[in-house]
Amino acid sequence: MKHWVDEVISRQGIELAPGRAEKMAPGVEGLLAAVAKDPLLGELEFEVDPTTYTLARDHLK
Amino acid sequence: MSDPATLSLAEARVQLNRGAISPQELEAACRARIEQWQPRINAFVDTATRKPSAGEGPLSGVPLAHKDMFYRAGLVSNCGSKIRKGWVASETSAALERLDAAGALDMGALNMSEFAYGPTGHNDHWGDCCNPWNPAYITGGSSSGSGAAVAARLAFGALGSDTGGSVRLPASACGVTGLKTTWGRVSRHGAMPLSHSLDTIGPLARSAEDCALLFSAIAGHDERDSITARAPVSVNLGQPIRAISLSSAWIERNAHPEMAAAVLAAAKAMGVKLVEVEPPPFDLLSAHCLTLMGPEASAQHAQWMRERPRDYSSAVRARLETGFAVPAAQYLEVLRLRALWLERFVGQTLADADAYLVPTIAVPLPTREATGPKGGPDMPKLLGEVTRLTRWVNYLGVPALSVPCGFDSRGLPMGLQLVGRPFSEGTLLAIGHAYQRVTDWHCRTPALR
Repeated sequence: MKHWVDEVISRQGIELAPGRAEKMAPGVEGLLAAVAKDPLLGELEFEVDPTTYTLARDHLK
Repeated sequence: MSDPATLSLAEARVQLNRGAISPQELEAACRARIEQWQPRINAFVDTATRKPSAGEGPLSGVPLAHKDMFYRAGLVSNCGSKIRKGWVASETSAALERLDAAGALDMGALNMSEFAYGPTGHNDHWGDCCNPWNPAYITGGSSSGSGAAVAARLAFGALGSDTGGSVRLPASACGVTGLKTTWGRVSRHGAMPLSHSLDTIGPLARSAEDCALLFSAIAGHDERDSITARAPVSVNLGQPIRAISLSSAWIERNAHPEMAAAVLAAAKAMGVKLVEVEPPPFDLLSAHCLTLMGPEASAQHAQWMRERPRDYSSAVRARLETGFAVPAAQYLEVLRLRALWLERFVGQTLADADAYLVPTIAVPLPTREATGPKGGPDMPKLLGEVTRLTRWVNYLGVPALSVPCGFDSRGLPMGLQLVGRPFSEGTLLAIGHAYQRVTDWHCRTPALR
């Protein structure tokens, strides 16, 4: 069975060398874990979307 | 006059305005140094003049050179790659247009990491760019040629791009001053894209004063880059500074002792009030930066990754492969969190200060061998340590100025960065200028051995 990383990437038409997915997986999982444990997630309001950042940038100058 | 190529940009302007030196003499001095230094450091990929100096603007007659990713109509931009080798641009980048309007001379194209996707200055296609202080060591990247050329006094300034540290890393490693601008401060029109949520353009030069001259020329709104802000561009190098915040205990615990000593000594030398604060969560914010950078860069390169993956170096190909594995929901969640983290940084870290001070690179500069294709199993960890303190700034999208603050026991430069609130480039440059008026680290030049 393919590693989940290999499955996800190959479905996008990208060919990985054998063993590459297993090598890459800890790094990707580390990034996902960082999102899951972000301490500000609890303060993230439902209405916030990615464009909110530009407003914050202009407001906080 | 001693070698005019060793003047600062500001000094050269004065000499030009007085008629003490001609633009032709200034260019000849730079070109003589290029001939001497190029075989040693490989800073240029093309030394043919790309745009002669014209007009009477504030940079008239000043020789500059730029990273090989700023397009110029009718000329080649290789972007440090095999894939774009020989590619001819159909239009000129907004930043170059503005430097042209200011009268600057564009002397040639500078080496860079492949597609600006590497923090060291290695390049499998165009040859590594080498550190002028010791060619066995990295220049930092991806604006490797920009850092090396300015350090060796081959050009008075250079444009670079900064997506995860690519202006500040070479500035620190090569002993020059580099300004990472606010996301949306300088138009990216006509510059090679890497990661649209993070990409910024900024100058590398010999001093904060020189960076201020270049920044003033290139910054401002541009209809062709929808993220550019309309905030006014103003730089007053004499503006009063309220305070600088820092996290001394964190620096002492985490930075190499030589770096920690240099940065903390620099903080005292700045002569302003220092405020101790809790450090931002560098590692978490760096991870968020990579969660944005990976998928955005991979999407940008998706077609070439499907059709000609073997035309990338193994290191860049591996980075691009990783970006395809990040799920869209996590990517978007990190984008949604970005405003909250910016508010936290401005509201807490900068609550009582104009800038936050931290090393640019906290560890001793590694060799090219240790971080190259034969680097061994520790290489990823080493690269992570080099970039640990730059990527978090790109996630926040705020400006940062890297200035030289000493030399380590091996004779290699060390740099600190001043990180500010959005659009506070003028404040950072004023702090950097004040520091450089009482120190001479930025004046030291590498010797050609």
